[in-house]
Formats: sequence, structure tokens, C-alpha cells
Amino acid sequence: MPALGAAAIFQVVVVPKLAVNGVYPDLILLLVIARSLLAGRNDAVVWGFTGGLWMDILSGGAIGASSLALMTTALVTGVGHNAIFRRHLFVPSIAALSGTLVFSLVYLAILNIVGFRFQPNLLVTEIVVPVCLYNAAVMLLATPLLNRLPEKTEYA
Amino acid sequence: MREQRGWSGGNLALKLTILALTAILLLVLQQTGRLGTVEGLVTLVTSPGQSGLSSLTDRLSNSLTNLRNYRNLQQRVTELELITQGLIVENLRLKEVERENQRLRELLAFAETRPSFELRGGQIIARVIGQNATNFLNVAMIDLGSRHGIHVGMPVVNEQGLVGRIYTVNATTSKVLLITDPSSTVNTILQASRLTGIVNGASGSDPVMGFIPQGTEVGVGEVVLTSGMGGNFPKGIPVGQVVDVRQKDVDVFQEAIVRPTVNFGRLEFVMVVTNFDPFESVPLLDTLPAQPIEPSGESSEE
Repeated sequence: MPALGAAAIFQVVVVPKLAVNGVYPDLILLLVIARSLLAGRNDAVVWGFTGGLWMDILSGGAIGASSLALMTTALVTGVGHNAIFRRHLFVPSIAALSGTLVFSLVYLAILNIVGFRFQPNLLVTEIVVPVCLYNAAVMLLATPLLNRLPEKTEYA
Repeated sequence: MREQRGWSGGNLALKLTILALTAILLLVLQQTGRLGTVEGLVTLVTSPGQSGLSSLTDRLSNSLTNLRNYRNLQQRVTELELITQGLIVENLRLKEVERENQRLRELLAFAETRPSFELRGGQIIARVIGQNATNFLNVAMIDLGSRHGIHVGMPVVNEQGLVGRIYTVNATTSKVLLITDPSSTVNTILQASRLTGIVNGASGSDPVMGFIPQGTEVGVGEVVLTSGMGGNFPKGIPVGQVVDVRQKDVDVFQEAIVRPTVNFGRLEFVMVVTNFDPFESVPLLDTLPAQPIEPSGESSEE
């Protein structure tokens, strides 16, 4: 879990410098998605909770919002764990794409509930869609590494 | 089958319920202001790491930029020398304008009725040690906190213009709500046309200056300054430049897209204006009013 803290600091300090058109990849989200693919939902929800807390503390956002959004994401992308095509080149990317979409929707919904106001149409075109694509691209590049990591079997 | 123990195994539904309830509890505690101490302790521990990594990244980034620009350095030096000469002349002219301005102010007894804001002597230079963790919030963390005399609401500027304002203060760090954040609003005035409005951050795009009265044409390229109305920012700080105008005759107000003068992508050092007392501390979650307000801005939530 300290690794998630280090990743969160890296996310806050270094990753914004990799922005393309103001949008940058979400490292913690990608780690949680990767964990859900490798170890299943059971592990990934804990990663999501911890990583989300780190993100919220360091970003100044509503504490708990990222945790809830990341746990939901882990539940969704965990479907890809132990699947027959888990090691297919595009499975992690599709997980990143759908996971980012789920994360964004849940996170924004929670922020909206606690009082943040956004312009939905701009958010979708300017942030959510580009971030989904950016995260999917990063995951595609990381797939060879991901496929070399030990996979944890889980029979629920 | 190997038995799974601890958090890595066990019942998913039970684990999920406990974690979700904990997250919701934390959310409620933070929203009711009961997590400040814990947040402060965590940032106290993480801020040295953030500072170190930030310095390292900045140095690396600068080295890469210098290396990339090496071939053009000579040409740039020549260009910069020419620009410097032009600026010296411009500076002399501006000094003359400043003197004239001062005389006019004295004539109008301006200083007595509305003392101009003095920036010098009240600034503390802070280093930006962290930026947005998510794409949805525009927040920067700086390495100054309550120990250095920082308070919530203090304006934050850099040499380019308005950066934002302090909205959370811990012992050694503070968080700055950038003017590009959707929850940020700044009362502003257009330098040439003297029209007032409210600059509101927008997610993923340039801020929008709304509530500009109809009737007067807003020119692209006009400079946007803080108006000082509402009492949350000193008057006359550059905010940005109009890059597009949205005007419809059927609307009560017109809008202008504002490109900030501050390059938020390369925010390294900022200055906190400590000798300016904000009219009131405005929480992070302030938003534009649902109903259009009069453009005087007196009742706005700057």
C-alpha cells in the first residue's frame, strides 16, 4: 500500500507534466484496473480504496469520492480477471477504456452530490473522452509488462 | 485450493460494504470539516517527498528543454537582446506614464477615497509542489502553510497574473484553487471597454467571462483584469485575454472566452499576497448563482 502512496505522489507531481491538450493519464486508476485484471476484484477493491484515499488527500478533492469510484471501477473491470482472453492484447486496453468511463461517471456523480458544479457537455468532450483514450493507450503500451506479471487465481 | 486470508481474500461483499461505508464516512467527515487535522498530518509527511520530486522533475524538464533549444540558442539570444532594448524604451515610457498617473491620482485625491493596493512587501514566494491528481480538479499545492502566515482566501499570483486563491491551509502546505477550476469565480473588468463580468473556470477549456452587459462590443484581444469588486481579489491583476466572444441578441448577457495570462502547465513558483484582507472567506464549493445577477458584481460570490 505504501507503493500506492508513492504512485499518488508521482501522479500529483510528475504526471501532470505529461499532459496532452490539458489531459493526462490517471496512474492510480490504471494500477487499480491492472490489479483487478491480475488478481481479481477482491484485491482490487482494497487497492481502489487505498489509492483513492491517497488521491483525495493529495488533490484536495472530496475525501472518499475517489475511493468509491475506484472500488466501483475495480468491480467492473474485475470481470476481465481469469477470462479466457485475459492475455489478449486488447483486453487491458478495453478494461482501461471502460474503467475510466465508469470511474469518471461515479466520481463526477459524487462530486456533484457534495456540491461541485460542472458543465456536462464540456466534460464529456474535453476531458472524459480524451482521458479514456489516453488511459487506454497507456494501458496498451503497458500490456506486455502486465502479461509478464504473476497472475493470482481466484475462484469465487 | 489455498485458503485466502486477511484483506487479500475473504468475502467480497462484506469487504466491499466495509470499505464503501468507511469511504462514505470519510466523505461526510470531510464535508463537515472534521478531517482537517488528519489531512494536515498526511500532507506534513508527504510534502517533503513532493518537494523533492517536484525539484527533480523541474530540473529534468528544464535540462531537456535546454538541450532541445541548444541549436536555436544563439538566434534566441539575438532576438532577446532586441526585445530587451525595446523593453527598456517601453519601461522608460511606462515610468513616465506612472509618474503622470501618480500626479493625476494626487489631483483627484484618489488615494484618500480608495487606497490602491500595494503588492510589494506583502508577498511570499512559494513553490508549487503538486498539481491536480485528477483531470477534474484544478488545484495546486504549495510549500507554505499557516506557520508562514498563510490564511484561507489570500490571493495567489505570479509574474504573469492571477493564479487563484488559498482555500485550504495546513501547517506547512496550502492548497490553491486555480482560476481555471469550475468552482472558481473572479470578478473582473475588461481593460479597454471597462465592462465588468465574472470569470468562471471551465473543465477542460479556457475560463469564461460571463455576465458582461449587452450593448458594448467586446473586442478579441482585450485584457481582462480583476475588478476588485466583491473584495476577494485586489484590483488590477491581469487574469487573461479575450480570445472569443459569444454574443446573442436574445441573451441578457454576453460571454467571452478568456485565455489566462498564467501558464498553468508550467506553474513552478507563485506569490501569496499576504497584506490583502479578503472581504470574506469563500469556501471551495462556491458556484455561480442560478439566476442572472446585476453586472455591478456587488452581490456576486467572487
